[in-house]
Amino acid sequence: MSIMISIPAGIAANQSASQQLTGDLSNTITAAEAQVNQTLTQIDVSLTPSAPQGFGFGGGNLNLGMIPGGDNFAPGQFGGGFARGMFGAGAFGGGSRNPMNESYYSDLSTIAHVAAVAPILTVSEGHNTTITGRNGITFVRMVPDYTIQGIPLVSSLVENYRILPQNITAGRNLQSAESGSVLISANNSAYFGVGVGNTIDILGKSFTVVGIHGSTGVSDQLTLYMNLSDAQSLTNNLGYITSLQVFADSSDTVSAVAADISSLHGELDVTTSQQRLSTLQAMQANNGERLQIAESTMNQIQTQAFQEIVIAVVATSLIVMFVMLYTVRERTKEIGTLKAIGFSNWNVMSQFMLEGVILSLFAGVIGVIMGTVAAPFLSSVLLPRVNPFGNLGFGGGFGNPIAATTEVIVDPQLMLIAFGGSILLGALGSLYPAWRASRTRPAEAMRYE
Amino acid sequence: MSELVLKTEDMSRTYTLGKRNVLALSEINLQVKRGEFISIMGPSGSGKTTLLNVLGCIDKPSSGKVLLDNIDVSGMPESQLYKLRREKIGFVFQTFNLLPYLNARENIELPMENNGKSKSERNSRSRELLGMVGLSGREEHRPQRLSAGEQQRVAIARALANDPAIILADEPTGNLDSKNKKEIVKLLANLNLNHGTTIIMVTHDSEVAEHSERVLLLCDGKITKEKQGLHQGKKLKCIKCGTKLQSANEKCPSCEKTAINDSSVDPAHRS
Repeated sequence: MSIMISIPAGIAANQSASQQLTGDLSNTITAAEAQVNQTLTQIDVSLTPSAPQGFGFGGGNLNLGMIPGGDNFAPGQFGGGFARGMFGAGAFGGGSRNPMNESYYSDLSTIAHVAAVAPILTVSEGHNTTITGRNGITFVRMVPDYTIQGIPLVSSLVENYRILPQNITAGRNLQSAESGSVLISANNSAYFGVGVGNTIDILGKSFTVVGIHGSTGVSDQLTLYMNLSDAQSLTNNLGYITSLQVFADSSDTVSAVAADISSLHGELDVTTSQQRLSTLQAMQANNGERLQIAESTMNQIQTQAFQEIVIAVVATSLIVMFVMLYTVRERTKEIGTLKAIGFSNWNVMSQFMLEGVILSLFAGVIGVIMGTVAAPFLSSVLLPRVNPFGNLGFGGGFGNPIAATTEVIVDPQLMLIAFGGSILLGALGSLYPAWRASRTRPAEAMRYE
Repeated sequence: MSELVLKTEDMSRTYTLGKRNVLALSEINLQVKRGEFISIMGPSGSGKTTLLNVLGCIDKPSSGKVLLDNIDVSGMPESQLYKLRREKIGFVFQTFNLLPYLNARENIELPMENNGKSKSERNSRSRELLGMVGLSGREEHRPQRLSAGEQQRVAIARALANDPAIILADEPTGNLDSKNKKEIVKLLANLNLNHGTTIIMVTHDSEVAEHSERVLLLCDGKITKEKQGLHQGKKLKCIKCGTKLQSANEKCPSCEKTAINDSSVDPAHRS
């Protein structure tokens, strides 16, 4: 009985977990797509290859626990900050970016159809931590505390292009030619323990917090923004930048500009928004495929569970039937007596049906209690790896698989079904024995000892 | 007194044991008047129980007729027979056959369970019957807390529940010691005497049988002999001095002996 209850409970719990995952992932992808579409004319240029490290599906998004303060699937932590042009080796990539000479800036500015070029310096600060993978191998990883992003606060750029965060939740945004000011995220605010108007100390230098930006939906939660020149002097990177955002004059010329940049400087890694978009779409397809696999796994388990339930139902009815047959045999004389003193066939039959049902009712109560208590344990034994992502080998080997099976919901509806089921089974199993009892011939029953 | 409550006409009952046909009852012609107290005696296998079962409508005759209150029950389907058993017949068994998980009162109420009597009616009737069999105050006792004799009294009370036309008792004293045997016989005799209950009793015990009006001897499925019992014609007399008595357990006003007790204790007193 308890097994009958725990299996559907486990399935329900896992299904809701997978639905949650699906929902979160599609939200994230939708948000990312919107971001990318807004900046179609943007081309990201850096010396670091963009796709593999920070962006890889396995690395960033499912590697739960890697991202500080990470709720497992909060949309904001998807893919390590590609919205702001750090698509590749972004803030969470471990802090290692290849610095490039600022002279690229002037080179790229001369290319035809380039409307503007924004040099950007990104430096992550953090601490090392040791992570033990599932296979027992340990890794030392830098967990970023915050990421400094130096933005050229030039009026022509700041006013015309989306190089600064767009949603300010407190205070104001950075302004042209501003120095000694920072725009921080809510996470930074918590990390430094400061608010708007306060002064914070970054790498030994004081900055005034002018505002707090909200998460744009695609992780820049750890990023604080300041003037490029401030960032360069602060991090001892005078004359160096880590990436360039090149803006074409229209979305039609983006590919041409990207090609020109590549031919001019073959060593540079060039990513257009369109490329990013197609990558995202591939990712979405990939994600959909995986969800499909997960769903089919789930369906398989459900089918299996259904078969188990059918077996349990048949077995239960048979047990009830044999027990009741034994009872009827045992009480032949009593049945004979009842008939001799004027009980009709129907009276006898309903008597035994009632007994079977009451017996099953007790079994049902015990089963529901047992099932409620034992379902979480049973579920983890019976369905150990239902988590659709944890068991498919993703997650880069670092993150812990989500323990979707630990939470089992035993809902009242299910209990009622189990309860009603037990009554039904009792009635079903008693049917034949009760009929046998009602057909007992009293004269023969009296002779029976 | 001439009204017939039970009548059989050339009634036979055949059993099939394997390929062999066994004639258990052969052309029985029996007439039972209302208020009679009849004993059936006979050796083992003579068909006593079969006769009782056929008379009690829990077995059917192979041929012939059984008329209960002038209704022919031999061809009646089970869907009607059970009502007849409930309303017209009261069974008393050798092994009492009380339901062990019901108390005395509930056992007595069983036959009234399905015939539309209200709960309070059933309750008062069962109390009345328990009083009649001398077990007032034992209503809530289950069978295992009652002695064998007390259990049989409860069984007799159960048989009387629906005020049946006839009581069929199959060796009612067979499982009782001599003291309880006397009590039960006394109870049946008094029921017959004071309430006019028609009783047919199967017994092995000639002492028990002698307290009825008519004793039928059954042999090989036939009634071979019929004799008069002591309890005849409602003219109960003290066996010692001949004084007329009202009740079987009443003490004789002249000789201070109880009719039935004395007769069964000391057969020498009779004659």
